Amino acid sequence: MRPPIEFLMPQEIGAELIYSFVIIVCSLMVYYGTKELYELSSHKGIKYFRLAFLFFAVAYFFRYSIRFILSFFNIKTMHELLPTTMGPTGPLTLFLFMYFSSIAVFYLLYSVMWKKWNGNFKTIYIFHALAIVISLISILSNKEEILLGINIFLLAIVSFIYYIVHRESKAKKKRHHLYIVYMLLFIFWILNIIDILIPSFLQKFQLLIYLISSGIFLTILYKVLKKTGN
Amino acid sequence: MVKRERLEITKDILKIIQDNKNLIKPTPLLRKSGLSSTSFKEYYAALSGKGLIQEVTFKGDKHIILTEKGFRFLEKYRAMLGFIEEFDL
Repeated sequence: MRPPIEFLMPQEIGAELIYSFVIIVCSLMVYYGTKELYELSSHKGIKYFRLAFLFFAVAYFFRYSIRFILSFFNIKTMHELLPTTMGPTGPLTLFLFMYFSSIAVFYLLYSVMWKKWNGNFKTIYIFHALAIVISLISILSNKEEILLGINIFLLAIVSFIYYIVHRESKAKKKRHHLYIVYMLLFIFWILNIIDILIPSFLQKFQLLIYLISSGIFLTILYKVLKKTGN
Repeated sequence: MVKRERLEITKDILKIIQDNKNLIKPTPLLRKSGLSSTSFKEYYAALSGKGLIQEVTFKGDKHIILTEKGFRFLEKYRAMLGFIEEFDL
């Protein structure tokens, strides 16, 4: 454990705190900013969209908690978060982070796809089951290759589904406003997860990931506030 | 004829009531909405349930009026459509 003075505000925890704060505030502002539109319309797309951002806020809270635990116990790899070394707190936090960040992206995807999937509720249950499986693998597996593989596989699935939506919209000559922002969100979601699961993998690019991720959330918040007239 | 979306049908029903000086009987509302009797009943129940419309008795007859929330829906309708389109929802 670090001595108290050094622990007070290590540089990386300070940056992490600001980053998490920006994302959590943006996500909650999107959630509460769309409350009235949902209450008036009961539109399913709006429902899943705002829930996705609520889950992002929760996921980033747990993300910060993991960073805090890693820093507090001076842990360098995620394997040291195992219950044998520090009790259930670490793995439980990791499980919750993985679950909420996966379900946030699945809900965002569902908000775009719900009409095509005819509002099928089974899809939502499949997403929850998938998020639980991903979270369990993340805490049980201690091989970096497996963790990396799962996340790349997830990104491929999400990107492929979203690409199909984009292509169909293009064929119908319908403007697809946020294609690039959503794709960047999916890519940086994966990078954020990899950054937590395999801390050494993206260490050099951490600040860049933080800046671009914050930019993506701020762009979405700006669009939401502009459209809702808040 | 292009199929109307659920949100558009809701707006049309509320607009009919508003254009009728916010007081209309159920039968003329059904006729002007262009819906089948079954669909109208379904929408009527949904709109009442969501508190967008309200039944009142006027000169001994049942009438329908918009609630404050109903007026707010009409005010926010364009914003709703813009939002749904912007985020492809």
